Amino acid sequence: MSTPLRRPFRFPWLFTYAIGYLIFLYLPVLLLPLFSFNDGTIVAFPMKGFTLKWYAQLGAQDTLLQAMGNSLIVGAVTAVVATALGLFAARAYVRYSFKGRELSEGLVMLPLVIPGIIVASSMLVLFISLGLRPSLTTVILGHVFLALPFAVSIMKSAFDDFDQSLEEAAFDLGESVIGTFRRVTLPIVAPGIVASLLVTFTVSFDEFVLAFFLSGNQPTLPVYIWSQIRFPAKLPNTLALGSLLLLASVVLLLTAEYFRRRSTKSAK
Amino acid sequence: MTDQNIIEISGVEKRFGTFVAVRDLNLELKEGEFFSLLGPSGCGKTTALRMIAGFQDHDAGSIRIAGQDMANIPANKRPANMVFQSYAIFPHLNVGDNVAFGLRKLGLGKVEMQNRVAEALEMVELGGLQSRKADELSGGQRQRVALARALVMRPKVLLLDEPLSALDKNLREAMQLEMRRLQQKLGITFVMVTHDQYEAMTMSDRIGVMFQGKLEQVDRPEVLYARPCNRRVASFIGGMNFLEARVRADNGASVEVDLQGFGPLTIDVNPNAISRSPDLLAGIRPEQLEISATRPEDYDASLQGIVSDIAFYGESVHYYVRAEGVEDPIAVAVPNYFHTVDYKRGDQVWLGVQNASVIDLGAREG
Repeated sequence: MSTPLRRPFRFPWLFTYAIGYLIFLYLPVLLLPLFSFNDGTIVAFPMKGFTLKWYAQLGAQDTLLQAMGNSLIVGAVTAVVATALGLFAARAYVRYSFKGRELSEGLVMLPLVIPGIIVASSMLVLFISLGLRPSLTTVILGHVFLALPFAVSIMKSAFDDFDQSLEEAAFDLGESVIGTFRRVTLPIVAPGIVASLLVTFTVSFDEFVLAFFLSGNQPTLPVYIWSQIRFPAKLPNTLALGSLLLLASVVLLLTAEYFRRRSTKSAK
Repeated sequence: MTDQNIIEISGVEKRFGTFVAVRDLNLELKEGEFFSLLGPSGCGKTTALRMIAGFQDHDAGSIRIAGQDMANIPANKRPANMVFQSYAIFPHLNVGDNVAFGLRKLGLGKVEMQNRVAEALEMVELGGLQSRKADELSGGQRQRVALARALVMRPKVLLLDEPLSALDKNLREAMQLEMRRLQQKLGITFVMVTHDQYEAMTMSDRIGVMFQGKLEQVDRPEVLYARPCNRRVASFIGGMNFLEARVRADNGASVEVDLQGFGPLTIDVNPNAISRSPDLLAGIRPEQLEISATRPEDYDASLQGIVSDIAFYGESVHYYVRAEGVEDPIAVAVPNYFHTVDYKRGDQVWLGVQNASVIDLGAREG
């Protein structure tokens, strides 16, 4: 353990800079939940009073619940598919050395840096030319592509600390290849799998650009929110919904981080 | 130990690309034998063990276990089990489930399975620890669990990859004796890979010494120590002073030589020596030399020199003596009882040696 450095505080302006930076990053995000409790439809100071009615109204909106349902389906399927693909890819990357491994790893990570709008428009063109009409299925395909780098990197860190002789020991004790995977590999990387499921679900659940292009007439929650922003009267509802999503994302990611750390610890 | 061969390896070769990890390996191991493969890291000993286990296939030759050719038999179908260097204790299972791991595939009844697990844990003196979690085990206990998990399968051959290298010195020495005792009680063939010469010598019936993929000598520890086959083996096992010996007369079973620094001596011909040349390389173990302030009586040859370095080892003291006509200082080991011998750097000393202490190592090169 390294002792915390106190050095930055010898330069007060660095400290000020750090605080200012954090405010710039997070203040806009914090305004969202703040105004969701405001008793008025105009987002401006001074605020008018505390209310929970915007939250209470959410449950009664059918289109919202439908969009929520779509998002849950897309998120769940994306999480399962991306994590399954990531699990096998990561095991191959960590265990075997084969021709084109680095190239393939680079390609898998590429969606992180390609602009979403480019991916979205080219996918739309591709799917339509394949005869796939925009629907939840196309959104899922897009989201799997987008979530795969997260799944692969989480699963890779789970396998990195995984002693290869554990699998050899199981095989040596008479277990089959599949049995070894089921009885040894899976349980040991299970925390990594949970972390990957949660992160990829969150990635999909919060994603807007791909969903906007590929969802057709089955909007996901972010697409629904976008469509509602046009109506000033609905804005407080949207803020309330956004706040809930923010909370859910943070909780999911913190849980994922907990499991990710557990996976690196238990594999040693 | 019986006379029955349990492992027969002939002409086995393993290449990784252009690198030859194991070349022309020939080895026959007896049922119930404790055999060690000894060598520096990278010499191919672990590769050889992994070929026996089935984790690596061989490029040429054949491996037979209990008379059966292992060519197309994967590791999970071989009558051999392995103890890994890292022990590979399954972290998500407790001690009992770790030991029972392989038994589940055998279709035993619940009671019999529990009995066999209990019996295996008793054997390694971990009786009653079935419910202990994997991360609550000490290094020594992990080693024992790994041993029990392999032995519970009742293998014909137990393979051990550096099984004690992760333990501290005292525990390691205790485990050496315990594993030897266990092996003799069970009568199972143990094949151990180690880079530790003392571990190999204290535990094994026979040792195979490997260098650069080649098995150079296979013998009982005493023979390996007394009659190594060449310079490499001699220097890897125990300390050794190397001196040139000019042959003056060949008497068949012995030769009269002029030993560098010491002069005329008669030494036995070493039947293990691999190669021959007109003159030969001689070796003397440091503890076989006598050191004294005056010319030693009753020794077959002696030389005079000056103490250049002293190393204290606790149970013995090593003096390094420079003598005229010998390039490297000659090491002498003196047992450390009551400090009866106490020389300082720069002291004039005599070294004495007997004919029988000088080992013929064959040709000077190779």
